[in-house]
Amino acid sequence: MMVLIILTAAGILAMFASVFNGRSVVLPVSLSGLFAAGYFALLEWNTNTTYFEAMRMDNFAIAFTVVCLFAAFVFLLLYHYMHYSSDVHYAEVISIILFSLAGVVVMVSFTSMLMLFLGIEILSLSLYILAGLKKKDLLSNEASLKYLLMGAFATGFLLFGIAMLYGATGSFMLSDIAYYLGLHKAVAEPFIVTGIIMLMIGLLFKVAAAPFHFWTPDVYQGAPTLVTGYMATVGKVAAFAALVRVFQLGFSPALETYQFLFAAVAVTTMFIGNITALYQKSVKRMLAYSSISHAGYMLIALMAANEVTNGAVLFYSIAYTLASLLAFAVVAILQQKSGSDEVSVFNGLSKSSPLMSITFAVAMLSLAGIPPTAGFFAKFYVFSAAISDGWVWITVLAIINSFISVYYYFAPVIASYMKKGNEEGIVLATPVKVLLAIIALLTLLIGLLPGSLSYLI
Amino acid sequence: MTAVAWLIPLLPLLGFIINGLGFPKLNKKVAAIIGCGSVLASFAIVCSLFLQSLQTPLNHRIDLYTWIAAGNYTVSFALLIDNLSVIMMMIVTGVGFLIHVYSIGYMKEDEGFGKFFAYLNLFIFFMLLLVMGASFVIMFIGWEGVGLCSYLLIGFWWKNREYSAAANKAFIMNRIGDLGFILAIFMMFAVFGSSDFDKVFPAASAFTTNDSIIIAITLLLFVGAIGKSAQLPLFTWLPDAMAGPTPVSALIHAATMVTAGVYMVARSNILYSIAPVTLAVITVLGTITALFAALIALTQNDIKKVLAYSTVSQLGFMFVALGTSSFDAGIFHVMTHAFFKALLFLGAGSVIHAMSGEQNIRHMGGLKKALPITSFTFLIGTLAISGIPPFAGFFSKDAILTASYFNSTIIFLLLILTSVLTAAYMFRLYFMVFWGDFRGTHHQEEHLHESPQSITIPLIVLALFAAIGGFFGLPEIFGNHNWIHHYLSPVFSQNTRIMAHADSVMIEWLLVAFSLVVIVPVMWLAYQRYALKTVKVTLSEEQLPFWYKLSLHKFYVDELYDYGIVKPLSALAGLFSVAVEKKMIDGTVNGLGSITLFLSSQLRKIQTGNTGFYVFAMVAGMVLMLLFALAKLNVF
Repeated sequence: MMVLIILTAAGILAMFASVFNGRSVVLPVSLSGLFAAGYFALLEWNTNTTYFEAMRMDNFAIAFTVVCLFAAFVFLLLYHYMHYSSDVHYAEVISIILFSLAGVVVMVSFTSMLMLFLGIEILSLSLYILAGLKKKDLLSNEASLKYLLMGAFATGFLLFGIAMLYGATGSFMLSDIAYYLGLHKAVAEPFIVTGIIMLMIGLLFKVAAAPFHFWTPDVYQGAPTLVTGYMATVGKVAAFAALVRVFQLGFSPALETYQFLFAAVAVTTMFIGNITALYQKSVKRMLAYSSISHAGYMLIALMAANEVTNGAVLFYSIAYTLASLLAFAVVAILQQKSGSDEVSVFNGLSKSSPLMSITFAVAMLSLAGIPPTAGFFAKFYVFSAAISDGWVWITVLAIINSFISVYYYFAPVIASYMKKGNEEGIVLATPVKVLLAIIALLTLLIGLLPGSLSYLI
Repeated sequence: MTAVAWLIPLLPLLGFIINGLGFPKLNKKVAAIIGCGSVLASFAIVCSLFLQSLQTPLNHRIDLYTWIAAGNYTVSFALLIDNLSVIMMMIVTGVGFLIHVYSIGYMKEDEGFGKFFAYLNLFIFFMLLLVMGASFVIMFIGWEGVGLCSYLLIGFWWKNREYSAAANKAFIMNRIGDLGFILAIFMMFAVFGSSDFDKVFPAASAFTTNDSIIIAITLLLFVGAIGKSAQLPLFTWLPDAMAGPTPVSALIHAATMVTAGVYMVARSNILYSIAPVTLAVITVLGTITALFAALIALTQNDIKKVLAYSTVSQLGFMFVALGTSSFDAGIFHVMTHAFFKALLFLGAGSVIHAMSGEQNIRHMGGLKKALPITSFTFLIGTLAISGIPPFAGFFSKDAILTASYFNSTIIFLLLILTSVLTAAYMFRLYFMVFWGDFRGTHHQEEHLHESPQSITIPLIVLALFAAIGGFFGLPEIFGNHNWIHHYLSPVFSQNTRIMAHADSVMIEWLLVAFSLVVIVPVMWLAYQRYALKTVKVTLSEEQLPFWYKLSLHKFYVDELYDYGIVKPLSALAGLFSVAVEKKMIDGTVNGLGSITLFLSSQLRKIQTGNTGFYVFAMVAGMVLMLLFALAKLNVF
């Protein structure tokens, strides 16, 4: 609860600070808000504190909260150093980020479906605004509007599903629903099945799984690149945590009614994401498709639904978040410099900025799942979760997809090392350099010592 | 002190990182201080562990973290501190430190100075990991790591094509052995569910003697040892490895890395005790290698090649010790060998240094005047390796000979013969280099000089140990307390095969008498032939007797491998490259690639940008999902 209060208060403070000409205090306030929130979240480790029978800060919730706080921290620093002097809405953006984190906390800790809905909406509304941040840019406007429109549609599905489940079981509480499902063996009731599927679609939309992913490339491309990075990390990880939570806590007795659907969606998502990514010239759009395909891999862990699922999803989220943050940060910096996000802006990057080219290479290796990066073990745990449940065919398909992905992940890396380009040095602010280096090192470190993380929750 | 034992491998690793990143900006002095200092610090910690182990035997497992967890299998990154690993750590860091110091002087002029120290530190790190690992997997990391460093350092002067070829040869031959090792690890996971020493060994004790699974595992492990420790048939890489700078030959290819195979077999002694068949294989192979390499060493003219073949031969002795289940004698010989062979190599380096890079002993001679310290310490090394009492080699070789005597008379006699040959080729080397007249060029003669202190001090320290190192394992008849036997007994005590040390007084005295009666005349012969008579500078092939040519050409093993294995394999590879690779594999891969790209070009068309279509897709998806789910429930 403290976490929510702190994040909201920091958001409000940041917003008011700009009104009273206190632009310079915005970053310190918001960063200390993030750290305080992280601290109070970690205080509740192993306590399982329940709030109003609607939220429970269990280890799962805390771990995902911290991952998202970290991503937001990276976003804030990058945003500060790239836009502090140029953006009129500097303070507003930061406060919206803090508000969106409040939504994230609710999304990863809910025990009632109403809270799930609230959390998703708090986060989504913030993201709709952020996507349209560049008011005079047509693509940004399009992104915002499309996201809102499609998001509204998805919310409809979600609410419809919640309503049907409420109708069938008489409760919003996940524990009540699980009890009902277990007691009545009611998995065969069309009401329940329809409710579960509707709710599933609402959430699959948020994690950008096929065929509910169509908004993703357009929105990711149109939104300002840093915001895209935020959406692709925090937005996706929080939605995934919500998906795991609602199905594990609420619907697991009805596993066989939805397991094969997850399998089908996972396979479709992986193939659509990876294959479409091959033909993209824009790195940003390529990353959008890549993020779609990663939703597919993560769905495999969810589908396996065994005791390692949570650990595998958390590990995957961390690896994916770190790598995506790096990738989007580099693309954002290059885009700000050159005004383009085509692969060709990477030409000669190894000369003009060795740090950016090496960190970007680490990010791509991790996303492609190549050891010794975190991405390798992320895929490893997901696949082993699937195999231990006998899902060999889906693992084979996932591995084929990993092969395909190597092609497009390496295109910018090859460009930065093999092709000649502008060799004029790119100057980066020291904190940005440190940040890039730290994230890249973390990616390698987790890849070298994966053991402890996978058993965290 | 065990609490900080993790620092022991970490410090050289840090040295590697600093020197590696700092190269070439870091100046040579700083690089040398970091390189030597990190190993010295590790050595200090090891020393305190050693002192502790003298009071009470250590047996301490340190679990640093869970490295890999997959289902029921977990690999913990764990270190094992027991008396065996401590004694190996003493050798690695102690001798390693001396060789680091030596390298300051030896590599002074080299532009890759910082890189050299970075590689040396990395080597020490991996070697420590190898001897400290508490499971075969961790040992394997070190095993592969030292192989890598060996490759990097053999090819240190990579601009010379022959040197990089030698590096490749070492790497590839080791790879053959490593395959055996890793298969053994897989088998252990399959059979015991773990590769941790404290799980595998107790579990193995339940198997009956000569159980086929244990025989398979031990043989596969031994294949790994054959590669790393240069035994027949995988020994030809070691003489070629002399392409590396001399400190590398001393550290990696004499004192430490090549003895990793011996350590590994000694560490797994419980497994081997269940498989007497494997032990017999080891004994026979070790004996043949020892004899074979000694025969080749007799006629070689390159100072480092003689020492390289002698290393192969001495490693053969160590394996005989293991094969006859006297593991402590094997480790004892590892230790004394580390002293005297490192000494000999470093002495050779000092000679090469003085001779402006010349390695052919037929061009040397009479160097004892110009190089008094080198000459004297080299003599001690030669006495030690030849097994003259009371120098170090006598006691360790004596222990092995005694063990082999109780095992098989033929093995014993062959080893005795090898010992005689050892004295012969070593004294031939010594007299040819340091006695007689100088046979080099005038230019070389003018430049003859004793090496600087950073080279001579390590020589003197090592000479001291080569002289007295044998007293660590004094046989019972001399002092009634064989220290190393008792020190290592906790590690080998569970081994049921080790015989109650039936020290036969007669055998011991016989050996002492033998070394005086046979080896001293051999020395005399060598003196007559190579110190008093003029040595020919060049040999004319036609006049040589058949056996001499055979030995000079190393029994044509390299040629045999070339014609028997390398050429047919590369012909086969050529065939595959054209028929299979280009046509089948490339065709398939490129074909698959184009299909995928085509799919991609089609799939991207459905991303129309039209929101109406997006909503339609969502609804279509929903309908499909509902249909499938409800159909499964037989609602319709």
